[in-house]
Amino acid sequence: MAINTNIRKVILIRTYSAFGGMLVFACFIIWYLIKIDFIERKKWLNMADSLSTKVFDVAPVRGNIFDCNGNLLATSMPIYDIIIDAVAAKDEEFETGIDSLSMGLSNIFKDKSKDSYKKLITNLRQRKERYHVLHKKASFKQMRRVQQLPILRLGKYKGGLIVENKNRREKPFDYLAERTIGFTQENVAKVGIEGAYDKYLAGTSGKKAMQRIAGGTWISLNEDDEIEAQHGNDIITSIDINLQDVATHSLMNVLKLNDAEWGTAILMEVQTGEIKAIANLSRVSEGEYKERFNYAVGECLEPGSTFKLASVMSLLDDGVIDNNDLFDTEDGSHQYCPNATIHESEGKGSGLINIQTAFEKSSNVAISKAVFNNYRGKPELFYNHLEKLHLTKKLGLQIQGEGVPLIKHPSDRAWSCTTLPWSSIGYEVLVTPLHIATLYNSVANNGKMVKPLFVKKIVNNGNTVKEYNTEVLVEKVCNNETLTYLRKMLEGVVIRGTGSKLRSPYYTAAGKTGTALVADRKHGYKKKIYRSSFCAYFPAENPKYTCFVMVNAPSKGVFYGAAVAGPVFKDLADKVYANSIQLHKELKFTHNHFSNDLPSIQVANTEDIKQVLDKVSISSHMHNDSINEFETDWMQAEMQDNSLAIQPVKTLKSIMPNLQGMKAKDAVYMLEKSGAKVLVEGFGKVKKQSVKAGERINRGITIKLQLS
Amino acid sequence: MTQLQPKPAKFDWLTLMLYYVFVVAGLLCIYASVYKETNPMIYDNSMNYGKQLVWIGISFFVGLMILLIDEKFFYAFAYGLYGIGIVMLLSVFALGTEIKGSSSWIRVGGIQFQPAEIAKFATALALSKYLSGYNIQFKERKTQMICAAMILLPMVIILFQNETGSALVFVAFALVLYREGLPGWLLLVGIALGVLSVLALLVKPLYIIIGLVVLAGAFLLMVRRTMLLIYLTVGIIAFASAYVSSVDYVFENVLQAHQKSRINVLLGKEVDMKGAGYNVQQSKIAIGSGGLLGKGFLEGTQNKFRFVPEQSTDFIFCTIGEEYGFAGSLLFIALYMLLLWRLLFMAERQRYKFNRIYGYSVVSILFFHFTINVGMTLGLMPVIGIPLPYFSYGGSALLSFTVLLFIFIRLDANRMNELTSGAD
Repeated sequence: MAINTNIRKVILIRTYSAFGGMLVFACFIIWYLIKIDFIERKKWLNMADSLSTKVFDVAPVRGNIFDCNGNLLATSMPIYDIIIDAVAAKDEEFETGIDSLSMGLSNIFKDKSKDSYKKLITNLRQRKERYHVLHKKASFKQMRRVQQLPILRLGKYKGGLIVENKNRREKPFDYLAERTIGFTQENVAKVGIEGAYDKYLAGTSGKKAMQRIAGGTWISLNEDDEIEAQHGNDIITSIDINLQDVATHSLMNVLKLNDAEWGTAILMEVQTGEIKAIANLSRVSEGEYKERFNYAVGECLEPGSTFKLASVMSLLDDGVIDNNDLFDTEDGSHQYCPNATIHESEGKGSGLINIQTAFEKSSNVAISKAVFNNYRGKPELFYNHLEKLHLTKKLGLQIQGEGVPLIKHPSDRAWSCTTLPWSSIGYEVLVTPLHIATLYNSVANNGKMVKPLFVKKIVNNGNTVKEYNTEVLVEKVCNNETLTYLRKMLEGVVIRGTGSKLRSPYYTAAGKTGTALVADRKHGYKKKIYRSSFCAYFPAENPKYTCFVMVNAPSKGVFYGAAVAGPVFKDLADKVYANSIQLHKELKFTHNHFSNDLPSIQVANTEDIKQVLDKVSISSHMHNDSINEFETDWMQAEMQDNSLAIQPVKTLKSIMPNLQGMKAKDAVYMLEKSGAKVLVEGFGKVKKQSVKAGERINRGITIKLQLS
Repeated sequence: MTQLQPKPAKFDWLTLMLYYVFVVAGLLCIYASVYKETNPMIYDNSMNYGKQLVWIGISFFVGLMILLIDEKFFYAFAYGLYGIGIVMLLSVFALGTEIKGSSSWIRVGGIQFQPAEIAKFATALALSKYLSGYNIQFKERKTQMICAAMILLPMVIILFQNETGSALVFVAFALVLYREGLPGWLLLVGIALGVLSVLALLVKPLYIIIGLVVLAGAFLLMVRRTMLLIYLTVGIIAFASAYVSSVDYVFENVLQAHQKSRINVLLGKEVDMKGAGYNVQQSKIAIGSGGLLGKGFLEGTQNKFRFVPEQSTDFIFCTIGEEYGFAGSLLFIALYMLLLWRLLFMAERQRYKFNRIYGYSVVSILFFHFTINVGMTLGLMPVIGIPLPYFSYGGSALLSFTVLLFIFIRLDANRMNELTSGAD
């Protein structure tokens, strides 16, 4: 019996201990529940918010800005911030990889030595840094190379590489029209077209609810919750990057040559008002100029003599003078008020002159006299004229930051004895360079004043969203008679007046120079700082473009408008002329070609030959013993019975051809196709070649060509 | 003497009721964990809960059938069922389809099931029959070896099917054997090995060996040394050292990457927010956000957005935690413990050894599932992916747990007849 009870006891103990163990476990579970539900509750709730779902902003792609020919002026490029989680890698991986990783980073970014990278990352690891920016704004290529490096190539969790993608605004043409294309930055006033059309370019960001799943990746939570990002619209501007290139570089040269403080150049299409080029350069240090401020749009200044066009237009339009009226230039100065005398810029008088001569010679005395004598009793008439010419108010441009002009009204308290005469020659008035350009453009455009146009179109995926047409500010700035006369005077300036140096044998131009004394804040006009300008349109008889150039404070002793600002105009006009076939006088062939006129062609590209012969309608035929025409890209031609006989030239890649007489473009193309490197000296056609014809050429060989 | 009429079966209504409560509550949890406002129908064949509803119907029917079958059937066919179970397990290698990296499923028509589920109650039946046989003394080495073989055979097959979780369930039979007289020191050795294994994974084996040698030295200094004791101690230390080293080797070379990672996460050696650790973290967030009273039925956001992977299967408990809070969880645990206690109580009142051992098997299997499953949702246990009986989504699991339980209810219902027949 005792044994039996003993066994029972043992079994009972075993049963109880089994269930007791279960109870202990249940208690453990309950304790864990209490811990999670009450003690750690906050922690888990916070984690729920931060870890598992997030609404991500989906950044839209900012629209591009194009020039009028579809060249990219501004676009968004992806850039990457390279961040390291120095703790992620395992010790083993870290120790074997750190040296080559440091070396790689140093090679890719070239900003730190291998040793300092190693020191930095080892330090970060010791400090258990999980988020350290190694390099900001890395390019796509750099980012890809970083992804290949030891340790980091293991990815985010095992290697600790974190890559954050951003977009950088890139201007492919760098500083060309930089200020006009503009930029947007947080907390800074928006500038230029980027600024003004921000709402079109920016697009709207989308929203995406994401959930974190096993594997640490984020996936879309629910497709219905997604708001797609609307990408920004593209903007097509009026800028022509080729002309812009000339404007900027020509202005740059002039500024450097004259060591000037700043300058601006504007090229405007006469009929449409489209701004084809707009350059603004400021001296940032000795001999270095950058786009820092949009003078053309934003700077209000005393224009000087170019303003005389408005005065003369007013006088003629009101019919108060004609070409027979003569004005006495006295001794080159005239006193209007006590202590206020207007001088001729050359300092001496020209006797009695009519208004045309006064304009062409830019006589301050004559023009101020004409205005003063005719308007002193009713100065508001003069003011009204300026108002009609849109000189008294903003033009209402498409980009922001336009300067507010200042033209005194007779009722102003600031109106004084000097105001009328000085205004007439471009002092005591403040207008922007674009005001002047717009005024001259209206004369070129037969009296119709149009608003300068920067942005032509807003497009989205090739569909036009909005189109900006030329806006007419004033239908007719003056009567036709006045217009004809003004144009004659403007042409006269270039033919025999102050702008005569700018005459071109190829095209005609009409314009006006300006050399203004700049009032210094401290010293007034006494410091003799000049502002040279030139405003003109061309061709004179059928104007296509208006150009305004202004150079502020040239300091190399030359300051007349034609001498300082003129060259920029000339470069621009030459470029436009060279590029615009329609401006050229038509070529007329007066006699048939004779056989001895026909060129013989050494070796040239088949397509090129065909095109040229076609264009100039020279008859040609295949040479009698020509092999299959399509075997080669190259041809030779020689005259044969009043017609060019064309013969294909067989070229072998590995054999040096005879390049004599070939165009450099063709020769270089031919050689580089064979894998040779080509060094070219001189201009024109090939005269000498460093490897004789018929010799073998190997890949990578360097061949020198001398051109004549 | 007149033949005594067999008394009508007396079913244990408490157990039956707990079963029905669990199944219905489980269905609601599955519904909540896959609930979408756009698709609120509870009967929907395309959704988990729709399928589960079908399986519940099948389970209820099968359960009813079991209750109607003569209890002697199970005794008689115990080995047969075990044989069928093993054959089915083996057939997986030929017919099996792979689901989530585990190749333990058989697909018949549109239905998938895991033979491992069947093996659980088949093994329980066979083990009970063997141990309840005449002249079977558990103390005998031979008996112990046969029992071990009966348990290890399905276990090993299941291990080969990549279902570590289900294989581990068979460890639960140790509790049954303990009740039937497994020597305590064996269990102790088992626990010691477990502790050593964990230590081996946490600390470098060399340090453990040094520690063991120091401990053994101290032990030998303190006690009266006999040659036998010294040999024994040295032997144990040598074995332990070898074991520790081999654990490290097995861990590095035999276990698969995801298993290693799960163990590392559990041991706190690895903070892994993407694999196993992620599930547990999300589950804890869900439970933690439930608070005292929970968010209410269908109000859980963690589950609605399906942050917790596998929520309707292995992580069903966090739905309870989130929607019904601490109070709901406590009630759930209490009810589960009540069921386990009731089954234990029922097992102890059996007169037939077969019935008792089977009852213990049921308790052990349910207990193992419960602790591991709830433990892993709380981060207390490694994530080894076994279902919570009667709650988790999964047709073949529900059906086999139903069969497991109902066989015992059927066996228990007959205890009155046993008494009377025992009196003849």
